Amino acid sequence: MQNYRNFCIIAHIDHGKSTLADRLLERTGRVSAREMTMNQILDDNPLEQERGITIKLHAIQMDYVDKAGKNYKLNLIDTPGHVDFSYEVSRSLSACEGALLVVDATQGVEAQTISNLFMAIEQGLEIIPVINKIDLPSAVTTIESVKQQVMDLIGCKEDDMILASAKAGIGIDEILEAVVERVPPPKGDPKAPLRALIYDSVFDAYRGVIVYVRVIDGTMREKDKILFMATGQTYELDEVGVLFMQRQRTGELSAGNVGYFTAAIRKLQDSKVGDTVTLAGNPTTQPIEGFREVKPMVFSGIYPADSDDFEDLREALGKLSLNDSAITFEPESSSALGFGFRCGFLGLLHMEIVQERLEREFNQTIVTTVPNVRYQVVTTRDEILWVDNPAQLPNPTLISEILEPYIRAQIIAPSEYVGTIMKLCMDRRGTMMGQSYLSADRVDMTFELPLAEVVFDFYDKLKSNTRGYASLDYEYADYKPGQLVRMDILLNGEQVDALSSIVHRQKAHEWGKRLCSKLRELIPRQMFEVAIQAAIGSKIIARESISAMRKNVLAKCYGGDISRKRKLIEKQKEGKKRMKQVGKVEIPQEAFHAVLSLD
Amino acid sequence: MFGLYLHVPFCQKKCSYCDFYSIESTEHIARFVDTLRREIDLRAAAGTGHVFTSVFFGGGTPSLLHPDEIGSITALLRGHFTFADDCEWTMECNPGTVTLERLQGYRRCGINRLSFGVQSFQTSELEFLDRIHDADQAVEAMKLAREAGFENVNMDLMFAVPGQTIDTLRDNLRRMIELNPDHISAYSLIYENGTPLYADLLKGRVKPLPEEVDAEMYHTVITTLRGAGYEQYEVSNFARPGRRCRHNLTYWHAEPYLAVGPSAHGFVGTTRYWNFRSLSAWTEHVMKGALPEANHEHLSESDLLTEHVFLHLRADGLRAAEVSARFGIDIRSKLQPDLTYWIEEGFVTDRDDTLSLTAEGYRVCDEISSKAAARLAG
Repeated sequence: MQNYRNFCIIAHIDHGKSTLADRLLERTGRVSAREMTMNQILDDNPLEQERGITIKLHAIQMDYVDKAGKNYKLNLIDTPGHVDFSYEVSRSLSACEGALLVVDATQGVEAQTISNLFMAIEQGLEIIPVINKIDLPSAVTTIESVKQQVMDLIGCKEDDMILASAKAGIGIDEILEAVVERVPPPKGDPKAPLRALIYDSVFDAYRGVIVYVRVIDGTMREKDKILFMATGQTYELDEVGVLFMQRQRTGELSAGNVGYFTAAIRKLQDSKVGDTVTLAGNPTTQPIEGFREVKPMVFSGIYPADSDDFEDLREALGKLSLNDSAITFEPESSSALGFGFRCGFLGLLHMEIVQERLEREFNQTIVTTVPNVRYQVVTTRDEILWVDNPAQLPNPTLISEILEPYIRAQIIAPSEYVGTIMKLCMDRRGTMMGQSYLSADRVDMTFELPLAEVVFDFYDKLKSNTRGYASLDYEYADYKPGQLVRMDILLNGEQVDALSSIVHRQKAHEWGKRLCSKLRELIPRQMFEVAIQAAIGSKIIARESISAMRKNVLAKCYGGDISRKRKLIEKQKEGKKRMKQVGKVEIPQEAFHAVLSLD
Repeated sequence: MFGLYLHVPFCQKKCSYCDFYSIESTEHIARFVDTLRREIDLRAAAGTGHVFTSVFFGGGTPSLLHPDEIGSITALLRGHFTFADDCEWTMECNPGTVTLERLQGYRRCGINRLSFGVQSFQTSELEFLDRIHDADQAVEAMKLAREAGFENVNMDLMFAVPGQTIDTLRDNLRRMIELNPDHISAYSLIYENGTPLYADLLKGRVKPLPEEVDAEMYHTVITTLRGAGYEQYEVSNFARPGRRCRHNLTYWHAEPYLAVGPSAHGFVGTTRYWNFRSLSAWTEHVMKGALPEANHEHLSESDLLTEHVFLHLRADGLRAAEVSARFGIDIRSKLQPDLTYWIEEGFVTDRDDTLSLTAEGYRVCDEISSKAAARLAG
């Protein structure tokens, strides 16, 4: 066990985590330079690569011989880089004894990095600060201040920091030496009852679920009967191994090591991140701390663009959930959109990823509604209802109170933007909880904000208002009561259920006005005038109208024109089929998430 | 009904807006007539067993052909095919190229309907459209046509021409109605891809009239012509009672027609064919004894249904019994709930088992057609 080192990399998006990981793999001979041309090997999902973020967790074992000629096995455990997955991050940190804190020499520390860093420090990980991208010309002017930020943040000495450029291969040897010298070897008792932490799992069509684990105590061997302590399920181990570039079967995995197993587990949902694996015949009495059920926080309706494709969509969601254990989906119906599903997501990014995967991997053409949070409604009869679809909010006379989820948001930005950020958060019903300076010109602010206010373009606003300099991290806090009402949208007098939203009473007017004017842009002219109204109950709070189209007819249609004309009509027909109709009014699909693009 | 279309691809001068195939040269006319006659021979079999109800010489400018040339073609047609006694024989004429003698000559060949591309009575509009005639010639052409004994004459009118105003359009309508044609085709100017006018549009040299003005002009055309006793029976076509163009109704009722000449489109059974567009390719094939077809398409049942619906809607209405007999569907229930809205909003009427567009409906005909097609498909 003394020659094992388990570590991860904590970094903000674009600060060079993947490049550094690639470089480490290359230096330890795990991949050849030729394979390196494929770049950034850890991110094997195209969507992740495109967005420059890692969603799924992976790990790789490397062999390393230090300067003294001693052999080590280094397990690099990758962590997801987005706030929606902070629980997963905390679990993968639990699998490590050390972390490389990678900070861009030209950018400084960001919110995401800090929250993950603090999580790592809390869990007692050894932190090795790495200042990356030192070869960038602009680093000359920023590096001293970035170093100071890092020293202030973790209380390290200047000498503790490694100056590196993953891209140019600078500092890689120093990093590897620091990992073996400074990261403590795993503690644990190979003879104690098995305790292994599930920090990730993926679904494989042939083997079922492949579970990634860190063994804390004991040993797991193929054919062992294992028990998942949170779910109470037992399985027999099929295959056990470690992770190189591919899975490498070893037959057993002992305390201190990181690897995988398969055990004929059918559903990803059965292997819960954070759960403890032990032996059914000799279980531990101490499950690993920190397990919790992951609950969706953001909800949205997903409907097939063509109502005939409902069953296809159900199948696609079913398949998608095979390798995304966090998504939930329940059938629902809407008078505007027909039959579809109310889906739950960890957060906005997760929602976008699911929507994109449905379209790209499963070829579904979908209509999505505006995302919303889950509200707790206390009725006048003191019942508690959970409402995750605004259209299902009970009649106001039956409601005694509505509670909504809040988050604690951490925002780090250059100090010149403090005013801007304060204003944005106040506009979003936020309360400032604290503020501290990381350096003379960098400030760290904490706010409590209703999650519902963050769901709508908050992040984009924050980024654009601070010219991209602010970074955001958040965690869920609790439910608090709010002055909330349901706002409905009516087109030519008919309510469009899929456009209903739950808004704060004081913001309803403004919101209604903006939504109506956005819909006016998005709904094409029709054969008759269309009245758009926003209403709370029976009270109209905003209105707009779309004037009728004046003329849509081509004058000429003789023998030579007919085929062309038919094809044109077929094409227009497809456009019409994609529209959703409420009463007489045809609504384009974009309109159903119009509020997301309100300015 | 069974029609025959003959395309004559020659013009003295091409009009900037026109996308029909023609060339600005008359030297090949004699050879063209020979070739056309050969194509008629080649297609003779396709016409046997049918009684032709309409023949249409279109172009181009068919009136560039001498009456003897027209006569040689009509005589050949009569030799190959059977024609109804009341068969409609139309020829398109440029008002700038006719003389009494010529018109009398055409009349003797059996032509009984003329169609004049008048377009406008305003010099500036005629110049914009590159027309070779002037307003006086249009008046003269009508006089000559009547003198030559033509009792069925159409005039084409163009509106939404850049530079045109409601006032000049009203003047055009008034002057055309004064000439008392039996039929008026009134078109909103189309910017057809591939025409010089379209190139001007792309380069910003020409600015189309705003949609509201186009719509207002269309409304003016419809109300004025209806007020003068013309019945509207298609988006752009108006006729005195009993003078609807039978040949065009063949297209719009999805009835069969043969076609000869470069670029001509024919439709027989469930197949539409089209001839080579260029005079040279067309000539080459015919001279080799081959059908000069560039291509053809077989229409599926759903294509046929789509065409049936949009063509009838554009024209004089969709007969529910006919759709039911031909396609086995109940068109009214298929088009719900939109049909109810269209009727409520005054775009469509449902009378005598026929769904017809109103003047308001013609204005948004393509919108209604594509929605109808979507309903039929769903």
